[in-house]
Amino acid sequence: MKEGKELFLINIKSGEDAEIISILGGQMVNKRLSDLGLTPGTKIKVLRKAPFWGPIEIEVRGSKLVLGRGLASKILVKRYE
Amino acid sequence: MNEKKLNIVLAGQANVGKSVIFNHLTGLHQHIGNWPGKTVEKAEGTLHYKGHTIDVLDLPGIYSLTTYSIEEIISREYIALRKPDFVVNVVDGTNLERNLIFSLQILELESPAVLALNFVNLFKEKGIEINYKKLEEILGVPVVPVAAIHGKGISEVLGRGIELVSGRIKPKSLKYGQEVETEIKKITEFLTSIDLPYPKRWLAIKLLEKDREMERLFETEHSEILKKVKESILRLEEIHGHDSAIIIANERCHLASEIAKKVIKITKPSKLSLNEKIDLLTLHKIWSYPVMLAIFALVFLTIFKFGNWFSSVLEGITAGWWMGWENIFGASILASFGWMAIKSVISLIEIALPYIIPFYLILYLLEDWGYLARVAFLMDNLMHKIGVHGKSCIPLMLGFGCNVPACLSCRIMETERERFITGFLTTLVPCSARTVIIMGLVGKFVGIGWAFGLYLFAILMIFGLGKLASKILPGEATELIMEMPDYRIPDLRTVFLQTWFRLKDFLYVAGPFVIISGIIIEGIHLAGWLPSIANFLSPITVKWLGLPAITGILLIFGILRKELILVMLAALLGTANFAQALSSVQMLTLALVSMLYIPCIATIAVLWWEFGWRKAVGITIFEIFFAIGIGGIAFRLLSLA
Repeated sequence: MKEGKELFLINIKSGEDAEIISILGGQMVNKRLSDLGLTPGTKIKVLRKAPFWGPIEIEVRGSKLVLGRGLASKILVKRYE
Repeated sequence: MNEKKLNIVLAGQANVGKSVIFNHLTGLHQHIGNWPGKTVEKAEGTLHYKGHTIDVLDLPGIYSLTTYSIEEIISREYIALRKPDFVVNVVDGTNLERNLIFSLQILELESPAVLALNFVNLFKEKGIEINYKKLEEILGVPVVPVAAIHGKGISEVLGRGIELVSGRIKPKSLKYGQEVETEIKKITEFLTSIDLPYPKRWLAIKLLEKDREMERLFETEHSEILKKVKESILRLEEIHGHDSAIIIANERCHLASEIAKKVIKITKPSKLSLNEKIDLLTLHKIWSYPVMLAIFALVFLTIFKFGNWFSSVLEGITAGWWMGWENIFGASILASFGWMAIKSVISLIEIALPYIIPFYLILYLLEDWGYLARVAFLMDNLMHKIGVHGKSCIPLMLGFGCNVPACLSCRIMETERERFITGFLTTLVPCSARTVIIMGLVGKFVGIGWAFGLYLFAILMIFGLGKLASKILPGEATELIMEMPDYRIPDLRTVFLQTWFRLKDFLYVAGPFVIISGIIIEGIHLAGWLPSIANFLSPITVKWLGLPAITGILLIFGILRKELILVMLAALLGTANFAQALSSVQMLTLALVSMLYIPCIATIAVLWWEFGWRKAVGITIFEIFFAIGIGGIAFRLLSLA
């Protein structure tokens, strides 16, 4: 696996793997996401994106989570290629 | 051994099967109430086990014990201050790593705990192996494999917990990274002389996390400690380059991941699991939507058909009862008041049995199967347009059964703003009683297509008003964060209990109003005031809405109970063949106004309870004017056609 460039989680295609670099946004958002195991350095896989600009489903630490698009556009990741 | 009293709590994240375990432990011996002064559900129950009387408290399903929501504060305060004999931490074994993040926080509260590792029945299928003994060693608490759905392992959880009580073993304190531990140690030393009921190490960690609730305890008398904490925080933030709250969260995630690595072995099955296969369709880019529509069309059609059939059966059974009553008690005033009270109870049953119960049974089957989470996923974008997120679909759908439990279920929404918008919108959802009117008036005499047209109109209204409300109300929409559960075979016990609890909401809240309103109506009727009410309202009913004057009476009594509109219409007209007395346009207008004009009195009471009287009155007044306005416009437009 080669490390790719930095982009936001919403720009990752379904089926691709990535690693969280940082989460932009307030302390609340950061806290909530870290409670779910989404912290910098965490590896994630985008499973699917709902049509019509809907939420995205990711796999993280062996479980599946759904995040709204607005939230996904605040999560900076690097893509594995 | 004497009957010993024990006090235990169930704690765990959402969707770990906690309620299945709770139901299994307590069955119907449970009491659902509210935490004092909070709109958070509190479920308690009692059971007997090997000479012990055990009080079980089900803490709200939450993601962490840091201050994020009321539920979380309630849970950690309860564990820290009320000191239960032991905590049963229910954990989803198929999601161990993420669940451990929460478990670590429970253990930090230093209460005796048992880890109930649920869903072990799914391990084989998912290729998961967990070394329980090793997990037990690492955490220092008993780990019990559980298959809650089959009732396996639950009594062992109690057994191991009771062993703990006699020994008072505390869980091991697990260590974070060295830099963090150094600061924790420093702060713990400052805290030695402080007399607070919380464990010192936990308090130190919370202070490092900048927990507002805990900081407040120190602000007045011990601000010097907060200064020391601030120094520690700055040192940590210097080293790691993140906010200290994130650093601690990171440490916890790291620790959970380390533990998971040591105890879990996963051999991923090579072929697609059944769950993934179902999701290929139910979450498909295009086909998921027709599938969703088909599922709900089927659900609603089944309920309408069944409800119509069953309620006519019930009517047949109770039709002759009045004669019997009159034969026994005569025709006195007291007897007719008594009969009204009985009739109100009958009408409650005639709504509950044919419509509300089947509806909630099906809905909770869909939820327990895992489908409602998919609906939230698919509808999130649409719901965002009206200022809420995908999860508010669930209260809105409950509203089709009865608005009362639907309003109560708005508590699943995270913020006050979303709770209110969703609550307001659920009052516009055509509930069972309104379905009776729409189907009995429009469906029967105008055409089924028009009846569905009214439904569609209601849904469009909900979207329109939701959009408006989200524009007017201050604040931003929060984003959807939700776990996507795997499909699983629904647990019928849980489905039945959930249905029963929602039904209880309906009976307890709506019941008294329905009975009292029945008696009031009879009083007004006997006093001969009905014609004056009709006259008084005739400028609105006759001039603006184009309806007969008697409908004024109906609309007043419809506030008490919506389906009364139909019942009283038949009584006042002296016939149930409404087409003889009303034109199609009049029937449509009446149904439309009845559908929109006001939540019934039981719903107003729940709105009051949940959102305060100002908002309850505001919604009521708004909906009256709104419905009358729309009704008048509809009357004129329909008359043109």
